Amino acid sequence: MTVMEKNTKDKIFEEELMPQIDALYNFAYHLTYNEEDANDLVQEAYLKAYRFIASYEVGTNAKAWLFKILKNAFINNYRKKTKQPTRVDYEEVVNYHNEEDDTNYSSYSDMREEIFQGMMGDEVTNAVNSLDVSFRTVLLLCDVEGFKYEEISKILDVPIGTVRSRLHRARNMLKEHLKEYAESKGFTDKRG
Amino acid sequence: KNPEFRIRKKVSPNLVQSIK
Repeated sequence: MTVMEKNTKDKIFEEELMPQIDALYNFAYHLTYNEEDANDLVQEAYLKAYRFIASYEVGTNAKAWLFKILKNAFINNYRKKTKQPTRVDYEEVVNYHNEEDDTNYSSYSDMREEIFQGMMGDEVTNAVNSLDVSFRTVLLLCDVEGFKYEEISKILDVPIGTVRSRLHRARNMLKEHLKEYAESKGFTDKRG
Repeated sequence: KNPEFRIRKKVSPNLVQSIK
């Protein structure tokens, strides 16, 4: 690679990719609900993006491209981590941590932190977090990040019909979770 | 003619610097 090529890569990286970092971090945080995991995920996504920057077409949708890289990194990490069930009873977590040697149970510490953060977070964040990751992802991409169905379909590698049905179910589940809270704040949904 | 609910973390400067 010549110096000029590296300069070009750096320029694209700085001007087109780095401005997306807040949105990317927000997405990563709502996928993992753990600041360290979100940091790792964003860093991994950016380093991969830099490595494969030649496949990015300048002036196209940098945000969607980065989100796709991050989503793939998340799925790979998630698969590695979830040999065990994703949800465990709190008592079970405490018992595991009372064992003399907990080196084999490192993934449980994330879960305990997730449970703690869930208790401390606000109602909406809790409700979104309670959605299964496949529903949470489409909701975040559409309602928080403002991606269109077609963009979400490309980011997640699923048909547009799947995006629409997941979004429909995610919103309905969220409405159920939030019904009482929303009504108490003056937002109403009387459809039942 | 006949008179829809749409629900924020910021990245740390350390992470930005680390990536750069």
